[in-house]
Amino acid sequence: MSAGAETLRLSPLDAAHRALGAKMVPFGGWEMPLSYPKGTIAEHMSCRSGAAAFDVSHLGTVRVQGPGALSTLQSAFTNDLGKISPGRAQYTHLLDDADGSVLDDIIVWWVSDERFDVMPNASNTTRVRAAVGGADVTAERAVIALAGPSARVKLAGVAPAAAAVGRFRVETFIWRGATCLAAGTGYTGEDGVECAVPSGIAREFWDAVVDTGFTPAGLGARDTLRLEAALPLHGHELGPGITPLQAGLGWVVAWDKPDGFPGRAALEREREAGPRRRLAGIVSDGRQPPRAGAEVLAGGSSIGEVTSGNFSPVLGRGIGLALLEGTHPPGTAVEVDVRGRRIPATVSALPFVDKKL
Amino acid sequence: MNVPEHLRYTSDHEWARGDSDGVRIGITDYAQDSLGDVVFVQLPTPGRRVTAGESIAEVESTKSVSDIYAPIDGIVSEVNQELTDAPQRLNEDPYGEGWLCVIAPDGDSPLAPLMDADSYRGLIEG
Repeated sequence: MSAGAETLRLSPLDAAHRALGAKMVPFGGWEMPLSYPKGTIAEHMSCRSGAAAFDVSHLGTVRVQGPGALSTLQSAFTNDLGKISPGRAQYTHLLDDADGSVLDDIIVWWVSDERFDVMPNASNTTRVRAAVGGADVTAERAVIALAGPSARVKLAGVAPAAAAVGRFRVETFIWRGATCLAAGTGYTGEDGVECAVPSGIAREFWDAVVDTGFTPAGLGARDTLRLEAALPLHGHELGPGITPLQAGLGWVVAWDKPDGFPGRAALEREREAGPRRRLAGIVSDGRQPPRAGAEVLAGGSSIGEVTSGNFSPVLGRGIGLALLEGTHPPGTAVEVDVRGRRIPATVSALPFVDKKL
Repeated sequence: MNVPEHLRYTSDHEWARGDSDGVRIGITDYAQDSLGDVVFVQLPTPGRRVTAGESIAEVESTKSVSDIYAPIDGIVSEVNQELTDAPQRLNEDPYGEGWLCVIAPDGDSPLAPLMDADSYRGLIEG
């Protein structure tokens, strides 16, 4: 995801991160905090046991509105907005029509009758706009994700209306005179709220949140948290050659929508034949993480490849997601080829850490 | 960054110190800070003959994997087994409890080619 020589975009909270001593890294064309001085593992554990705040302003916001907005999104994405209603959020996919590959995974915030805030991954905003049009309003706001078992209690002291938003609900709230949005969505496996606030008050909102006891957490912790929760990351578990069915996300596909969606024919063929590989969990016997790209072997033969891997602070072991061919139920002993050494591991049920939300 | 005066350094951000039982090595404060939280250390096998510049260990953090290179020629005489279960010692105490291994050197003045604290400071602050 290195941006090379191109100019990196800065979050409205850039100065706040630097003041907190964050290590900044390029990510999806943005310069964002990797970690703060406490470090990734401490940030991770704060989110699992308390409350953490993440700047996720690098996610895109594409605003699609007007009388045709609903039908535009219905015919572009795999999920069915008919299953929800205004004031709710939905996870969905944009597919490649040719082979059903996932071009992006997206959260749609259905803000009001004819207004949708579509949130693609940082580097896929252009691709999603090509599919659904709309206005790129990413620069107008910061998005601050608050997550953890005490996130709502703490947030109630800063923005009570935001703290009360239900799971997968979207609501407008006013904070110090500014109109903001809160959604009961997140990417950590913990309960939480994501707040979109106008860029002009973003610093004030962030400081209020941090002052009330949220631990600032960077992209490093965001990645280990989503991995424990087995949430897919585009470019790893989703992407060219990987369909929703292979990723175990068949529930994102509304097969019976009247107008269909790009990629449906390819996906139907795959459903009939059965996906040639499926996403599974791998837990190392020890601490060493399996890493993306590592080969997975059973009985000495290759059965697939790790798509993401890291250390699980909660389990104290290496964990990974892998696309495996054939049937390998939880408990199956495997080996992972990590830079030429084969380390013992076991197929695991997903998620690795389940907070039963 | 902490760069103790009494140690010698390599351009790979390792430190070395002559002890009675050989040359003790580890990674510098700068290295542990760059790596972030260390989660796994692959140590060399005691008795292994190593040549200066050869990869002898791996230090893995939540964000990356780094090779550790032998700073001198010799034989690995001791490794810090505590790191197997507590790799975070590399972050907490890189010059003390986070030491990696001891190498019994071949020559009489094995540390001579390595940098002193001033030179190393120049490297990381340069």
